Amino acid sequence: MENALLIGLSRQVALARELDVIANNVANVGTNGFKARSARFTEFLMPGAKADAFKPADRPLSYVIDKGTPLDLSQGAMELTGNPLDVALKGDNYLVVQTPNGERYTRAGSLSLDRQGRLVTQTGLPVMGEAGPISFGSSEHSMRIAADGTVSSDQGTRGKLRQVRFADPSALASEGTNLFSSTTPPQAAGPEARLEPGAIERSNVKAVVELTRLMEVQRNYQSIANMITKSDELRSRAISRLADQQA
Amino acid sequence: MRAMQTAATGMMAQEMNVQVISNNIANVRTTGYKRQQVHFQDLLYENFRRAGSATSDQNTQAPAGTFIGSGVKTVSTGRVMTQGNISPTEKPYDLAIRGEGFFRVRMPDGRTTYSRDGSFDLDAQGQLVTRDGYQVEPGITVPNNASSVSINAQGIVEAMVPGQTAPQQLGQIQLVRFVNKVGLESIGDNLYIETAASGQPIDGFGGGEGFGTLQQNYLEEGNVQAVTELSSLIAAQRAYEMNSKVITAADQMMSATTQMFRG
Repeated sequence: MENALLIGLSRQVALARELDVIANNVANVGTNGFKARSARFTEFLMPGAKADAFKPADRPLSYVIDKGTPLDLSQGAMELTGNPLDVALKGDNYLVVQTPNGERYTRAGSLSLDRQGRLVTQTGLPVMGEAGPISFGSSEHSMRIAADGTVSSDQGTRGKLRQVRFADPSALASEGTNLFSSTTPPQAAGPEARLEPGAIERSNVKAVVELTRLMEVQRNYQSIANMITKSDELRSRAISRLADQQA
Repeated sequence: MRAMQTAATGMMAQEMNVQVISNNIANVRTTGYKRQQVHFQDLLYENFRRAGSATSDQNTQAPAGTFIGSGVKTVSTGRVMTQGNISPTEKPYDLAIRGEGFFRVRMPDGRTTYSRDGSFDLDAQGQLVTRDGYQVEPGITVPNNASSVSINAQGIVEAMVPGQTAPQQLGQIQLVRFVNKVGLESIGDNLYIETAASGQPIDGFGGGEGFGTLQQNYLEEGNVQAVTELSSLIAAQRAYEMNSKVITAADQMMSATTQMFRG
């Protein structure tokens, strides 16, 4: 009897987890370069008791546990900003950002300069070129980024944005602040890597999909709650009926 | 439930977005105004199962981890420093900068500020001042008997003085630029001040290396595009609504939990 309750509970925990994922996607609907995550669950079969201490159940009990929250790696919408240091990456490439904890990867291509003239992200972390961070002298102006990632000013080329790709991009770990980290080293994107200057990649959260999933989660949660209520009523009725029997 | 806090960060972010958009729209006719743009970032993730962790002793690995994010935050409201339209005003002390550069303005408290708004006038002493009466640096005084003042693309101010056949040179308007002009801080009144992020001002003159040129009788309009701002406003409003739907859903799920056992 408790099994129905516990299995229902495992489903409710999973649904609450899925709601958290949806809430994070919806909250980041305006975050540039954001990649949505979805929740994946798996059936978890309760192992039968060993040493013949218990009789095996007539049917297996399957609980649900969360398996992972894979990234949705589809391209977000491109928004033209006209800002010469904004870049939107095409394909499945990433920019490399130097952080105190090592290299991190991002698709949020809204770059700017810091006071030393270095090309940095919105959080001020240097963006890596193929030969280290890219910086400009104080007398330079008219900085721009070409479609192949070449960064130049009026005084010539200053470097080329390092673009990388991953054999398994869905294994990237989200770090927050628009950064991803990877346990496996990335590969160079190759000379055919292209980016769109003067544009940024918006969040790839699909509002309709998220809200549909939101409704689904909510209804499922309520139906599990009803099921638990029903099984509880069943139990209390059974107790009262059995108590009425005269010995 | 975590979803509630997550959605609340989303609502706060969109509220900030609406604030910035409404400020842009309010300044659609402000001379030299540069529109602001909000940038968001995702917050920390809680990692329940790491991608690539071993799933058996046969060297199999989890292809994707479980990451639960905790919402969004505003990272910057940087200005988009693109050129605004240049519109004619037919006033001799109206100046527009075509290209890079800021005017240098001395505040009454002695501070130096920077502006793209070139709607200047003369004060009682004949000095070139902004609309608020602050002196444009370096000080340029137009004699009260001068006529037909002309300011060329390099900022050299010349005027005809009675009794002279050639125009008299009164001075040259200085421009400054910054390595990171987006890092300038706005103090209102179309003025900016230098910050640690902007870097030191680099002096120069119109038409100089890396500087734009001046255009007399013209003003630079704000670079706000009303259509873009309105569509962003609609998007921000819808995003706000979606976050509130998440809160409603989380609330109803909690209410379903509390009503499971009616006793």
